[in-house]
Amino acid sequence: MTDSLVADIENCLENGWSDGLPVIPPYAGLVDAMLAAMGWTATEIVGEISDQQIRVRAEHVAATAVMAGCKTAYGPLLRELALAALDPRFNLSGTEVTTGGASVTVFVSGPVVETLGFEHEANALGANNRANATVGRYAQMLRHFCGRGGGVLKCHGTIGHPGRLSFCVAEHPSTVWAPFHTQFGLPAESSAVTLMATEGPNSCNNHYAATGGAVLDTIADCMAHFGQTNWYYRSGGFVVVLPPDHMDLVRQEFSRDQARAYLHEKARRPTDDLIRVGRIAHAPLPYAEVEPGRPRSPLKSPEQLSFIECGAAGGRFSAVIPRWVGSLHAICRTIPNL
Amino acid sequence: MSQTISDQIPARRLTSCGDRSCEWLVDPIPRPAPAAITITLQPRQPRVTFIDHGKPNSAIILGHAGEILRARGVEVADQILLKPDASQRMPAAMLQALAGEPGLVLCGVSD
Repeated sequence: MTDSLVADIENCLENGWSDGLPVIPPYAGLVDAMLAAMGWTATEIVGEISDQQIRVRAEHVAATAVMAGCKTAYGPLLRELALAALDPRFNLSGTEVTTGGASVTVFVSGPVVETLGFEHEANALGANNRANATVGRYAQMLRHFCGRGGGVLKCHGTIGHPGRLSFCVAEHPSTVWAPFHTQFGLPAESSAVTLMATEGPNSCNNHYAATGGAVLDTIADCMAHFGQTNWYYRSGGFVVVLPPDHMDLVRQEFSRDQARAYLHEKARRPTDDLIRVGRIAHAPLPYAEVEPGRPRSPLKSPEQLSFIECGAAGGRFSAVIPRWVGSLHAICRTIPNL
Repeated sequence: MSQTISDQIPARRLTSCGDRSCEWLVDPIPRPAPAAITITLQPRQPRVTFIDHGKPNSAIILGHAGEILRARGVEVADQILLKPDASQRMPAAMLQALAGEPGLVLCGVSD
């Protein structure tokens, strides 16, 4: 590494062109190569945050990909990811500035997982692997660079979570249930990238369960702890992460739809208890549909629950990833030619 | 952190003077291009309008604040306006209507 390269990295860090970690400086030659891989020209408008008068050009996105350390081979995926992040339904700026400290969480599924070398087994939620780490970082950097009104808005996250640096989860190429993206209407054979704004994962450890029902009971309990964010608005939802050893039990008793219905039924707490500990506002909005005296689910409907199959064999750790309540939509896009 | 917002705005342009030549680095950050706006520093009428932004307990706190202000002789609009979604920007029509409000508009109070 030359002194000038180190100086350029420091220059980026000191001038706000960073997520807090050192970046690859966005030299024009590298950005041009990334633009070509994404299939864009530099000044194309690829997204807008119209209420902030922000127009995102392809060169902004490509520079971000370079800075995150992405390979040009990821270009088609990065293009679809950017379009998903800039989809107005995703609420990118809200994700950046919320007190909820949400990340732009990336789910990769289908043949692209093997084609681009994503880790989908060991440490699937935090893999030390280039594809996972840099694609996840790129998504967070898009949030940070595009979601702050050019730098004039402030992030208000109270505690945030480590996924705001990088959070990319890849599904097993071969799954017991249909691939993750089929839950959002895409054909099973597709390669897909799905974005959700989420909190960090909650681990669900159960090493001695003998049945799939016991595994799901454990997950339901995790979804229903007092501190769960979704109790009031219930507009977010959850992603349930099932690794092979838990899946081997669950699959014997449940289809995906059955597991969804089971968790929707089991993950509840008495509304009065939630009011007692302060998890429901004193004068709830009609939208919150608070019904004292009845059990309350953190979901308004079972469709807010999705499942992803990943993780290594040899341990019985599932996880629940709570979705941020302000991002009502998961944005799922096909990745052509991968 | 004592930095102001303007201290934290990222640089618009960075230059690399490398081993062979100087070049600009490509700015990764889209910048706003806002139309001109007019800022009013003082309400034209001594009247307060409240907006419940949809976060927990906002309506209760604003209702209580309204009672206090009325007791002090301040005119307070009868209706507390409700922003449709706590995490989404106010709808354009609502914002436009408030732009014509001659008094003080107060929002963002909750918990």
